[in-house]
Amino acid sequence: MNFKNKKIVPYLLVLPYIIYFLMFVAYPVIFSVILTFNKWNIISPMQYAGLTNYIHLIHDEFFLKSLGNTLIFLAIHIPLQIIIALFLAEMLNQKIKFRGFFRAAFFLPVIVSGVVVTILWQQLYGFDTGLLNRVLTAVGIGRIGWLIDPSWAMPSIAIMATWKNVGLYIILFMVGLQTVPQNYYEAADLEGATHWQKFRSITLPMINPTIFMVVVLSTIGGFSLFIEPYIMTGGGPLNSTLSAVLYIYKQGFFYYHMGYSATLGLFFALLILGVVMIQKKFIEKEK
Amino acid sequence: MIKKLLKIFIIIPFVLAQLSCSSKSERNPDHLIYWSSNNTQEIDFARVMVAEWNKENPQRQISFQPVPEGQSSEEIILAAVVGKTTPDIYSNMWQGDVEDYARAGVLVALDTLKGFKSFIYSRCDSSVVKEVTSPDGHIYQVPWKINPIMLMYNKRIIEQLGLSGPPETYSQFDSASEKFKDENIDSHGYVEKWFGYSEVLVTWWQRFFDFYPLYLAASGGAPLVKDNKAAFDNKYAVEVFSFLRNLYAHNYFAKERLSVRQDVFLAGVIATRFTGPWEISHADKFKPKGFKYGFTHMPVPDNHQGPVYTYCDPKNIVIFKTCPNAQLAWDFIRFMIDKKNDLMFLKMTNQIPRRKNLETDSVFAGYFKDNPKMVEFAKQAKYVKGTDPYPNLTEVFDIISQEYEACVIYGKKTPQEAIDDAAKQVNLLYLK
Repeated sequence: MNFKNKKIVPYLLVLPYIIYFLMFVAYPVIFSVILTFNKWNIISPMQYAGLTNYIHLIHDEFFLKSLGNTLIFLAIHIPLQIIIALFLAEMLNQKIKFRGFFRAAFFLPVIVSGVVVTILWQQLYGFDTGLLNRVLTAVGIGRIGWLIDPSWAMPSIAIMATWKNVGLYIILFMVGLQTVPQNYYEAADLEGATHWQKFRSITLPMINPTIFMVVVLSTIGGFSLFIEPYIMTGGGPLNSTLSAVLYIYKQGFFYYHMGYSATLGLFFALLILGVVMIQKKFIEKEK
Repeated sequence: MIKKLLKIFIIIPFVLAQLSCSSKSERNPDHLIYWSSNNTQEIDFARVMVAEWNKENPQRQISFQPVPEGQSSEEIILAAVVGKTTPDIYSNMWQGDVEDYARAGVLVALDTLKGFKSFIYSRCDSSVVKEVTSPDGHIYQVPWKINPIMLMYNKRIIEQLGLSGPPETYSQFDSASEKFKDENIDSHGYVEKWFGYSEVLVTWWQRFFDFYPLYLAASGGAPLVKDNKAAFDNKYAVEVFSFLRNLYAHNYFAKERLSVRQDVFLAGVIATRFTGPWEISHADKFKPKGFKYGFTHMPVPDNHQGPVYTYCDPKNIVIFKTCPNAQLAWDFIRFMIDKKNDLMFLKMTNQIPRRKNLETDSVFAGYFKDNPKMVEFAKQAKYVKGTDPYPNLTEVFDIISQEYEACVIYGKKTPQEAIDDAAKQVNLLYLK
């Protein structure tokens, strides 16, 4: 092998990824952007539509509704997830009995199929037949229309998503907690600080980067909310669980409005990018 | 080594591209490809048909395969159309999709083929031929098989309610539902059994099992879309919404999804179900001991006159324009759906061939004697409708579904408001 050939080796090694990238990332992205200026129902030839899709997007009340629903989901899911994950991480960071078992048990839902979890919770949430309502009635609280009441449906999905994902964030918080130097707590103990004071003044500031990472991950994950409403509610009742991704999917694969679906997708991707950039700024500021 | 790798990277895609191109241009016009539905009984039927045809026509061969597996056969066909990999003949095309494909220019106009018109008029009533004729005057589909939607009921429950037969009108249905609910509600107000159940999801095709057959029943088979406008803004649609709304408002029908549990009908959790003949083999296989069921027509308004229509979920046969020999394709289809083979189809699949006089034709008499439950469906087959020959039906049904949810399930709109709003949106859809 001569020197000339050696120079080519790195390029050859990255070639498979470049081919993959061009075929499955770059080409679809470029094609999607082109689609946004066209009308296309897949079976007929594409028709140039100028800015029609963008104008439609501005006036599309269903898309606005789906964005609002997604924000409602995020507003419930993210704080709930952080509070529960942090609390459980703090508990599981103590020297308690069966700690290994609990750590595994809390992580278990993360590796269970989203579809399976959704079907399971659908049973629990049943209005007349679900276990949760039976328990609520037994303790004297009335029934809740978990999935059939428009004001409860999205919070119900947020609770389920939190249950499913919290294990992952417990792990992240535990990693963060284990990086806090023990001597800080020892010094606080000498000063007579309470557990809450230690948590508020030492733990929270020290794990701030982890909290922000969890917020970013939850935000991106929450924006892509799809499986849960798709299987559980189909976006109902009364479009109260119609998430943005579900709406984009419906436009594309129910009605074959490919141009409009691509426009929604592009707008939504830019929106997520903007939110993450803002969050990144916050993280950098905190650092 | 590196040079070899480079050659492989360059040569393999080139060779593959060449192969894929050459295979298309070298189609033998006397060797066609046929895709059937991918349910077991239809695969068996198609296999028998193709074997018989190939035996009798050694110079004009048909290759058969079921439509490839996917989320739905509709998606697979769409992907095949886009990729220009459609079969020559496809026998599981939903009637509502045909107009979209016809307008896209991917289907053969069958009425241009020799022998088509005389055959179709000898097989089907003129109303059926009219139903499958596109607004451009051509016929792009062969009406093949139907599964009429009817009311399936639990005979024991009907007897226990003291009724002489299944409810046939809205008021009979309401009073039976009320009686049944009174007997199946606990002290906390939990309903344990419902008189009926229909999927509450807004998914467009769910309306094939509630609103649409009820609308056809009430209206005597009126269209949903006509002259590129909504045709359902009438008293029948309002009556259907009112009827269904009342069922949900009184909790006679469950608002929650029951379908992921056991078969709620066979378990006695629901007393009735709007469904098709495919339930018979399932029910006979899984029903508990002593369980008896029957079928009757869809409920109608109390003052209804005349025959009771329903939706028949028609699946038809089409020839794609990628076919190199449309006449051969039609000859094979004609062979596959002749009277003798329709009988075989009926026996093998328990699905109704869409042909006239099915119930009275002596060729089919033996089958109906052996399968008395199918007689109701054969009688109903005279009064069925598929879909209107207009594009965008998916969106039409979706619009109706949205209004159905708002009015029927959640009572947020009156039936009149919901139907008016749906009609306005459908009119806008066809204006675009």
